[in-house]
Amino acid sequence: MDFSLGVEQKLIQKSVREFFTKECPKDKVRELKETKSGFDSKMWKKLVKLGYLGLIFPEEYGGTEGEFLDLMIFMEELGRNITPCPFFTTVALCGIPIVKFGTDEQKKAILPKIIEKGHIWTLAQTEKKANNYSNEIELTADLSGDNYVLNGTKLFVPFANSAKQILVVARTQKGKDANHGITLFMVDAKTKGINIEVIPTAAKDCRCEIVFKDVKVPKENILGTKDKGWEIVDYIFQQASVLKAAEMSGGCQAVFDIIVNYTKERKQFNRSIASFQAIQHRLVDFMGRIEGLKFLVRKAACEISTGNSSARLNSMAKASANKIYHDLCYHSIVLHGAIGWTEEMDIGLYHLRTRSLLFDMGDVHFHKEKIADELQFHSPAFKEVYS
Amino acid sequence: MDFQFGEKEEQFRLEIREFVKENLPKGFIGNMFEEEHTDENWAFAMSIAQKLAKKKWLTISWPKEYGGMGASTWQKVVFAQEAGYWGIPGIGMGVSGTAWVGPSLMLFGTKEQQEKYIPLIAAGDPDGVWCTGYSEPDSGSDLASLQTTAKRVGDNYIINGQKVWTSCAHKARYIWLACRTQQNTEKKHQGLSLIIVDMKSKGLTLNPLKNFMGGHVFNELFFDDVKVPVENLVGVENNGWSQLMTALSFERGLALSAGGACVRILDELVEYAKETDRIDDPFVRQSLADLAIDIETLQILSFESAWKEDQKKIVIYEPSRDKALCDQLLEKVSRVGSDILGVYSQMDIMNKDPRWSKLKGSVEHVYYYCIGLAIAAGTTDTQRNIIANFGLQLPRSY
Repeated sequence: MDFSLGVEQKLIQKSVREFFTKECPKDKVRELKETKSGFDSKMWKKLVKLGYLGLIFPEEYGGTEGEFLDLMIFMEELGRNITPCPFFTTVALCGIPIVKFGTDEQKKAILPKIIEKGHIWTLAQTEKKANNYSNEIELTADLSGDNYVLNGTKLFVPFANSAKQILVVARTQKGKDANHGITLFMVDAKTKGINIEVIPTAAKDCRCEIVFKDVKVPKENILGTKDKGWEIVDYIFQQASVLKAAEMSGGCQAVFDIIVNYTKERKQFNRSIASFQAIQHRLVDFMGRIEGLKFLVRKAACEISTGNSSARLNSMAKASANKIYHDLCYHSIVLHGAIGWTEEMDIGLYHLRTRSLLFDMGDVHFHKEKIADELQFHSPAFKEVYS
Repeated sequence: MDFQFGEKEEQFRLEIREFVKENLPKGFIGNMFEEEHTDENWAFAMSIAQKLAKKKWLTISWPKEYGGMGASTWQKVVFAQEAGYWGIPGIGMGVSGTAWVGPSLMLFGTKEQQEKYIPLIAAGDPDGVWCTGYSEPDSGSDLASLQTTAKRVGDNYIINGQKVWTSCAHKARYIWLACRTQQNTEKKHQGLSLIIVDMKSKGLTLNPLKNFMGGHVFNELFFDDVKVPVENLVGVENNGWSQLMTALSFERGLALSAGGACVRILDELVEYAKETDRIDDPFVRQSLADLAIDIETLQILSFESAWKEDQKKIVIYEPSRDKALCDQLLEKVSRVGSDILGVYSQMDIMNKDPRWSKLKGSVEHVYYYCIGLAIAAGTTDTQRNIIANFGLQLPRSY
């Protein structure tokens, strides 16, 4: 067992932290909320230039072929700085499944453009049921000649307003088994019949509604196999849950640093408020939970890195992040007193993201249900030994 | 980064399970602090202790020259986990024999003390069973304020005072006693000493203190002019506090074995829920999953503490962190477990009847014993104070 970060990860941690601190200070985060695109395209170009978009993609397509752990560390830092940008949607939600399920031709056409040109991708999955189960997928794709024709509405698609390409989860067949008959299409965002509108979310983080009206997509734009797309969605979820949890874990570490420093500095009754036991015990409990979350996420990522991805751990990582993020933001703001409730303080910026982070890649009930599934079908040691 | 045990450790795990299969009754679930309740439980625990001694597992963390196994950190971790999971009885030699009396004697004891006491513990001998005399009626969390005195008279110490909440004293041959050898010191931590006292000494009276469930763990001890030879002093006179702190630091496997015990109860609860069809209840599913997350988290953190020790990094607040989380987790295990057992969660833990007590009464046992554990070795809030001071560098609040 080894709890330390490898040389590569330490390097990434340091350079990404420096990069975000310099390129995206909190005032910039505030400003970006008021912009149309929601992120800084200059910073995006720099990220591309530094090769971060190709962090874990194969060398033959222009990537640097790092480990999944490298990406996890990147996401921790992104979350620590709450840097708004379409990195997660492009790399985690689309790039990763394209590497796994794309044909060589598709990969050659797509990956270098992401890595070298910074093409933005996003995943359009959520629909009105918004439950992350396959039965929410109702957007239809019907074959007509050499094209599929897409009709339906996707909701809360992150950065769709800036995306060049959208990976659309569509229904190509309707039957008893909702998992069957789902197909993923790679769709040019400029295709006729697509209408994108930004939804007014608290974080102003560019969650979009996309209406597809008779949108024609060439049939070679299918990712993976027709009707078997749910397998890909699950693959995306397994890894992206851990990466989203890493982002949240980084956010928690930052919020915790803010509140510990604030309570140490703030004086009342002629003493630092951090000397009060009521405050200390709350902070201490959060420290244990945050350290636990950090290692839980890292463990899940480590297993993915070594090819032993564990659905149980992946869900634990995201569920745990969900359990902590809200509590920590709420209590940290309250511990600040009135000043915490003003826009002047950074802490509110973290809390504005709570609800979208909690929903992204599955809420706490969704993941606990997945864990329960794993528990139910796992054979316990005592049964084997005492059989 | 690597979060897996090595092949050697997994092999060792199988060996332990083989031992369990051979020596424990089928389906046995050992409960914490249950072995000292009855003579029957105790006899069984001691018989296992002797079997463990033969394998050197009783003193797994001790160096070989003292009769230990000289195991690696990760073998120790695996043993603690498995001991918790299977509830292997007899591993403590009382409260403290294997955990801190032996290791402290190796560090501070005289050669004569080492030769006299250490082999008895390592062999699983009834005379190697120890209790620890720290707490007093007016010295709980504020341990350094203790008032039991040992006055030097010729070649003896004359001990007077009272100890309380002394677990396992009714089974122990010796007590590891913290007492005051110097009065009126500048600070309360000064002037303390550690002294070994034979439980058969004249003037030592034991009064059992049953807990509210009817179990016998605690005792109170009265020292009335108890005469102890000076050679029973451990280490340096008046330097007891630092020795005591060192001794406390040996007691770090608790979260590891409690983690193992929690995994077992979770496994049992899942099987129970399956057998009773409660597994289809969304509330039950969510509760079990929630528990599984917290158990996994505690385990990872306790592994991290072990890893830091293994790397010779300074471990300061981590054991307190693990203990505080462990206290909360055990309470949660008992609550979730009780909710799943429903009406059967109200059974008497002192008279377990297989007709009524589900899962051998283990859930009810944790339900009441998690309270004792949250108090023992520093209450949850005392741990929080330590973490605040030493982990977060916050000003002292007390």
